[in-house]
Amino acid sequence: MASNDRHRFDESEDEEDFNPAPADMSEDEDAHDGSSRARDSSPNRRQDADDDEEPTPAKSRRTHDEDEEEEEEEEEEEDTRRRHDDDDDEEEEEEDDDDDVQQGHRRKRQRDRRNAFIDIEAEVDDEDEGEDEEKDGEEIEDFIIDNAHPDDLVESSRLDDDRRHRELDRRREMESSLDAEKQAEILRQRYGNRRPGKSFGDSAIVPKRLLLPSVDDPSIWAVRCKEGKEREVVMSIMKRVEERRGTKDELAITAAFERGGPDSVMKSFVYVETQRQTDILVALDGILNVYPHSKLTLVDIKDMPELLRVTKTPTLEPGAWVRLRRPQKHNGDLAQVIDVTENGLEARVRFIPRLDYGMRDEALSAVSADGKRKRPPGMGPKPPQRLFSEIEARKRHPRNIQGNPTTNTWTYNGEEFENGFQVKDVKIQQLVVTDVNPSLEEVTRFASGADDGTENLDLKALAASLKDSNTLVTYLPGDIIEVYAGEQRGVVGRATNVQGDIVTMFVTEGDLKGQSIEVPIKGLRKRFKIGDHVKVIGGSKFQDEVGTVVKISEDRVTLLTDQTNNEVTVFSKDLREASDIGGQGSLGQYELHDLVQLDPTTVGCIVKVDRESLVVLDQFGDTRQVMPSQIPNKLPKRKQAVAADREGSEIRLDDVVKEFSGQQRQGKIIHIHRSYVFLHTHATNENAGVFVTKASMVNTIAAKGGRVNAAASGPDLTTMNPALKIHKNGTENKPIAKSFGRDRAINQTVIIKKGAYKGLLGIVKDTTDSHARVELHTKNKTITVPRDSLNFKDKNTGLNIDINGRGGRSASGGAGRGSGDRVPGWQGGSRTPMGSGGSDRVPAWGSRTPAAGGRTPAWKGQDYSGSRTPAWADGSRTVNPYDGSRTAYGSGSRTPAWQAGARTPAPGDAFGAGSRTPAYAGGGDSWNSGSKTPAWGASAPTPGASGNDSWGYTPAATNSSAYDAPTPGGAMSAPTPGALSAPTPGAYNAPTPGISAPTPAGGWQGGWGGPDSAPTPAAGAPTPSASGYAGFSAPTPSAYAPETPAASGPRYTDDD
Amino acid sequence: MTSFVTPGQQRYMRACMVCSIVMTYSRFRDEGCPNCEEFLHLIGSQDQIESCTSQVFEGLITLANPARSWVAKWQRLDGYVPGVYAIKVSGQLPDEIRSSLEDEYRIQYIPRDGTQTEADA
Repeated sequence: MASNDRHRFDESEDEEDFNPAPADMSEDEDAHDGSSRARDSSPNRRQDADDDEEPTPAKSRRTHDEDEEEEEEEEEEEDTRRRHDDDDDEEEEEEDDDDDVQQGHRRKRQRDRRNAFIDIEAEVDDEDEGEDEEKDGEEIEDFIIDNAHPDDLVESSRLDDDRRHRELDRRREMESSLDAEKQAEILRQRYGNRRPGKSFGDSAIVPKRLLLPSVDDPSIWAVRCKEGKEREVVMSIMKRVEERRGTKDELAITAAFERGGPDSVMKSFVYVETQRQTDILVALDGILNVYPHSKLTLVDIKDMPELLRVTKTPTLEPGAWVRLRRPQKHNGDLAQVIDVTENGLEARVRFIPRLDYGMRDEALSAVSADGKRKRPPGMGPKPPQRLFSEIEARKRHPRNIQGNPTTNTWTYNGEEFENGFQVKDVKIQQLVVTDVNPSLEEVTRFASGADDGTENLDLKALAASLKDSNTLVTYLPGDIIEVYAGEQRGVVGRATNVQGDIVTMFVTEGDLKGQSIEVPIKGLRKRFKIGDHVKVIGGSKFQDEVGTVVKISEDRVTLLTDQTNNEVTVFSKDLREASDIGGQGSLGQYELHDLVQLDPTTVGCIVKVDRESLVVLDQFGDTRQVMPSQIPNKLPKRKQAVAADREGSEIRLDDVVKEFSGQQRQGKIIHIHRSYVFLHTHATNENAGVFVTKASMVNTIAAKGGRVNAAASGPDLTTMNPALKIHKNGTENKPIAKSFGRDRAINQTVIIKKGAYKGLLGIVKDTTDSHARVELHTKNKTITVPRDSLNFKDKNTGLNIDINGRGGRSASGGAGRGSGDRVPGWQGGSRTPMGSGGSDRVPAWGSRTPAAGGRTPAWKGQDYSGSRTPAWADGSRTVNPYDGSRTAYGSGSRTPAWQAGARTPAPGDAFGAGSRTPAYAGGGDSWNSGSKTPAWGASAPTPGASGNDSWGYTPAATNSSAYDAPTPGGAMSAPTPGALSAPTPGAYNAPTPGISAPTPAGGWQGGWGGPDSAPTPAAGAPTPSASGYAGFSAPTPSAYAPETPAASGPRYTDDD
Repeated sequence: MTSFVTPGQQRYMRACMVCSIVMTYSRFRDEGCPNCEEFLHLIGSQDQIESCTSQVFEGLITLANPARSWVAKWQRLDGYVPGVYAIKVSGQLPDEIRSSLEDEYRIQYIPRDGTQTEADA
């Protein structure tokens, strides 16, 4: 090997960025190889890897090269050695220079020179190198220097010679003693890197750019073929090539290839490489699924490399989301990558299992019983996705499950489960890696699966999965788009046509304005302006939000949503100009502000509609996020729903009400559900302005449609107070009459007093409150006339009759006894007339005429006393007649007693339990212990014994009115009234109290028998007894329930 | 021996990660890789076949004349035997095999999964 070569070699080794020119390659192949070999060991090598051809390992060639290699190796070794020698030389040259400067060492220098010479001599046969040599040289040098006397020169040279020989011997000895293997190892370490890769050599370092096609290369033609059959066609070509190889028909094509695939833009083509177009016809003639006779397209030379361009599939990263293709049961299910094997061909994924835990084993075993291992076709429906449950698995297959409960890892039927998820190694071709688009719902199922309950949602991985789905970008004609990559970068225009991955755009800005250009979808993004109203169309959890663009940064657009006023940032690809305002608001059948049933006792109002979930404000004011599937029922809006506000006014939908307390929020009623009202306000955005409160906690501000409302003036007493009501109606009293049964006007003969039909006679056929349908006698016609323009006539006599006068019944009796009598009595609020009325009746009572007449007033009374308030009021008044009638009593002692009595019921007049409470409480122990019970028991039968079953009512009804007098009378016996009415003063000196005591007692029982008048007499009862009748006469107790007064007497005294 | 693979057998096809030749699994097992057997030692070794060949590949090339074809040159297939090759082979050669290739056989391994071409494109 020439020194020239060697020199080059050195150079190349020093040069870091050696890029061999093709010329060099042919010229100095050895050197080149050497360099490439040398570069093998350098770390930079990998960088240049594309320059190096991959192995071209033709075996035969390799073996053939072996010898050559060895030769080369030796040569190289020598090269190296020599190089080192040279190095030494150089060093010494330098030393010389130094010495030149320092004149005093000339001698030494000479010797040095000689030393160098000796060195070289000594090393001729030397296999070692580098340091050893130098060391040796130095040793020798020292030696010579030490004996640096001219006289000794001869001697020293002799010695030197001797020494050299010995040295040489020693070294050889040492070498031979070295293990052959070790030596080989050393050699390899030293030179191994330079071993020629000749078998892969020639093109190994040719960079791709030097491989670009030239006109001399065969050309490539695109031939149409059937989509999806590309591989088969290529295989068929292969077959034909092989069949005809070596025959006279040998195909002239050099290669054929396809780039098929469902997503490829090059599908439905095969590409044939050949020198002449005609060869294609020969090669493809008769091959299925390929159509060489249709148009053949010559691929431009500059496009040829593009045909073979390979883009790396993004490698799966742990945490990424994928979809499964297999197992079939899980086709389409979302899975998460846990790990990827080294070669990237298999991934460990976890997903939610679909297990039926052997529920359908019977079906399966039936098939296997036939000896067929084939699964039933279709496998039936997929079991739903559910996390693995150890318990369920043990139910049917206790033996098929094993695992570790602490780590929650299980093996069940040969499948692995961790934390409820199934874990499986899946080949990546069985995974869908692109366009996974995991939905929020799916992902949350994974997120909630952490054993400690924490959310382990990897948003980053999710974002990556979502961002990768570039193909989802959809452009529609009309979209304003911008090119952000490639040569046309910066061009802005309007999309006019979209075909596959190519968008035709009409440029609206810049130099190209007015032109239409085609750009690949890859380098495009949508362009928005601040202030644009846009809608999120996909790719993020904000899907379907509509908002206004507030900020744009590259392809990230920040928008302010219409609905929540939140700022969200999304990719511009996920946006589209919004045509609808506010948009959204519905998910399936559910819309914003709908009222939905959450569980049997809970309802909620939808306050937010997300893509896949709803936010619901329940009746307790809590918001919760629910899936539509979690909602059992949607409640239809009840337009007629009515509630009463705090003041009792009715409130309906759309009324504006204000909270009475708390935050005093004001809002419009959107739902009324039982006692809850859902209100909507514009004052806040919280929960979309919806809040919930109780109906009784709001005041009406404005009723819809200006409905008459008493809210401002407080409750309308007239509607509550029967007395006032009656008063208002005056003597007409119509409403009362009206409220009973069939309208008596019907079938009456009437004469029309007013209007166009005045004077005509007819029969009332139908009536309403205000109008009547009258069938005219005169002509066959039925007309509607106001009731007040009718005169009712007696059918027979033709006389005017009062239709409201109780009709038939009024005739039978009591026509005069109308409530009219009593109304004044009531109204008067003074019992005096009542007293008189009562006195009328007393005989009736006394005679115990159970006739309706007797009771009628009672009923009547009840009628009025829907609230018995007056009755109660009577309670206090009751005293008066007594007082009046018993003036004679007038004993000082008793008056207070009565007052006391009056007092007791007085609380009772509140009507509430309160009135009774004192009675009982006051009665306290004694009542409980005995007095009360007997009082009840004894007193109740008393009237019963008196034979008047209507008593139960009577006192109840009358207690309000006539109580005072008759009750005791009734209760006592017939004579009692008699006694009461007249003789009282005289006869009863002692017994009066006795009687008076029972009076309340009677009132009592009556009260108890009656619906709710009870308390009053109850209260009244103790009163007398309390009022100091401790000294009751003996007979009284005996006549009555004995204990009652007796027991209660003292007690009450105490209490008082 | 033909490189033709019937459609029914195509599901068993694998591509050598080194030279990208496409054959069925059984052929790899019985005959090894016609280009790389010397250092991949695929014959009879299931493990080796599974780690050095890949089921995931795209783009088939029928290589009729490796010496004259530009496609072969571009794909660096010239010098290989005629046959069916893949344009892209997914998967990575195991590191130990890769390093032994580079150290022992002085072969510069170029992954065929697209990592390289992107770099020099």
